[in-house]
Amino acid sequence: MPFAHPKTGPLMTMQPRIPPVAVTAYQCVSAAGDDAESLYLSLIVNRSCLKPLRLFEIPFETLVGEVTSPLPDFRPSLKAYDSRNARLALKALDQGGFRSNVEHAIASHGPGRVGLVLGTSTSGIYDSENAYAHFQSKGVMPAGFQFLKIQTAQATAEFLHLELGLQGPCYSISTACSSSAKALGAAQRLIAAGFCDAVLVAGVDSLCRLTLCGFNSLQLVSPEACRPMDAKRRGISIGEGAALLLLERLNPENAVRPRLLAVGESSDAHHMSAPHPDGAGAVLAMSQALQLAGRDVSQVDYINLHATASMLNDLADAKAINHLFPKPPPCSGVKGLLGHTLGASGAVEAVVSLLSLERGFLPGTCGYEQPDPQCPCPVIATPLLDQRPRLVLSNAFGFGGNNASVLLEAF
Amino acid sequence: MECMSLLGYSACAPDPGLRASLPFPVFDINRDSIPPMLRRRTSQATQIAFSVASAVCVETQRSAAALPAVFASVAGEIQTTDLLCTELVKPEGVISPSAFHNSVQNTAAGYWSIAQQCTQPSSSLAAGCDTFAMALLEAWCQLSCHGGELLLVCYDERWPAYLDTVRGELAFACALVLAAEAVDGAIAHIGRPHFDAEAFSALFESLAARTPVLAVIPLLGLAAAGGAAQNIPVSTVVPGWQARVSPLNTIPAPS
Repeated sequence: MPFAHPKTGPLMTMQPRIPPVAVTAYQCVSAAGDDAESLYLSLIVNRSCLKPLRLFEIPFETLVGEVTSPLPDFRPSLKAYDSRNARLALKALDQGGFRSNVEHAIASHGPGRVGLVLGTSTSGIYDSENAYAHFQSKGVMPAGFQFLKIQTAQATAEFLHLELGLQGPCYSISTACSSSAKALGAAQRLIAAGFCDAVLVAGVDSLCRLTLCGFNSLQLVSPEACRPMDAKRRGISIGEGAALLLLERLNPENAVRPRLLAVGESSDAHHMSAPHPDGAGAVLAMSQALQLAGRDVSQVDYINLHATASMLNDLADAKAINHLFPKPPPCSGVKGLLGHTLGASGAVEAVVSLLSLERGFLPGTCGYEQPDPQCPCPVIATPLLDQRPRLVLSNAFGFGGNNASVLLEAF
Repeated sequence: MECMSLLGYSACAPDPGLRASLPFPVFDINRDSIPPMLRRRTSQATQIAFSVASAVCVETQRSAAALPAVFASVAGEIQTTDLLCTELVKPEGVISPSAFHNSVQNTAAGYWSIAQQCTQPSSSLAAGCDTFAMALLEAWCQLSCHGGELLLVCYDERWPAYLDTVRGELAFACALVLAAEAVDGAIAHIGRPHFDAEAFSALFESLAARTPVLAVIPLLGLAAAGGAAQNIPVSTVVPGWQARVSPLNTIPAPS
């Protein structure tokens, strides 16, 4: 007898309220390596990729998930968009044939039918910080610095749009750490409402002084590699990355691809930088995702936790899951491996979840050793191989109490 | 979905010259719309966003707690971000924790949800010169997929002049309450956003080019003045995003 939860209604009567879309390709550049394959290997090995910061100096101790391999150059005509953030996106685009997947979508649907939605929290601020240093010493911004093409939230989206010759809608969502999870939702709606047949979703964030020093000022940064859900967790480790997902309207050609079923969204209405203590907003986001998809809590096989390893966040995560799931499925969080990639994390962890669905394993929780009795969640410490998850929830919760929960299903 | 209903709008500009030049009613920041706790620590961006969001909820008699919200801004909390960047490059720079969490693009959206106890989804988007157009498109998609009503707030505060020598000199915000389909109480119907080549109003073109969120002028101007349905640009980029706007039952504004 399937469990019928009051929040999601009886299993038998539920119909999807938004059409699912196919995820026809995905890629990811992260501290684990340059592509989704290296991310997969890293998830299986479950050894932290967090290291001391190399990109710039900071006045405190921490480890970060930095992309240390060389980043690609820009074509001269798009040089005005050249930022570390856009370079990470360009690097991801050129991994594993992802660019040709987008070109195939453009050829089959037409450039005006392919859109782009990008999630980021700080966009090209790393490069702006360097421009501010120039301003401080010389009294002027560096020649060629274009605010709209480097710093504002849509800069990297506009770059990718031009780089690929897309002509569909193009915008960025910037809701802190839920940004790219929400971008997945916006992209699904663009397809459902008939504006697009395919949408490139990007989650991109790059290391910068603003986030490192900002989170440190909030006393949220861990001096050691972060330990999500662990009783002795001491805060977050920050990472960077670019994850790209190509979403397409369902058709016979993509019938064997995994699907994005829905993205549930909510607001905590509680505090700018602390989650609701009971995880009320997280419960709303997860139950809305299930409701939109016509799925029931009993059908979820795995939850990719937000689990930043801050004291309050992990507590709220665990409470929310225990509130919504009478018998929670296995859960894990990957930020001990990659760091918290902030606005990119929704898309990065959607890629983690897709790898789990397609390769048949459940990721572990790197850094998790001692269960926190206050977070009674079935946390997986080490990866579980030979699994067959079909339905996966991936959570992303951000500043401002902005929550998104992404529901993905195997074909 | 055949169309969206515009149930009401409000607009705010701290600059009296700008207020006087726009073809629809525009007021100054209303400090009463900002909870006393927040007045001293919120930016111009958040204050103008709150001013218009509160006003349009009153105007349309809607409960803010019940409305999902789409916030849209080209540069978000740029004044706070600018202060932080200036401190970050000083050897002894000091970063305030509240300035940091108030620098995120969804600061206005976050405070709005807290102040109104609104647990509905809220989004914060940016699309450069297409910011209003993409906000309208996002609103269309949300209403088309989920029905109901939503609050759209489009705003930009004044930007530091050295960041952009052309744009960002004037602060402006507007808020619209939109509903799915044609409903009672609509003051205008807004058709499906689409790509077209209708020219932007010559009178306001240079103003909107310098303040991208003023791409809303033709839409609010037509809603205020009434008259025949027209295809109007919702972006200063032409050819670009446009929508057919049909004013309803409005009395022409006194000239």
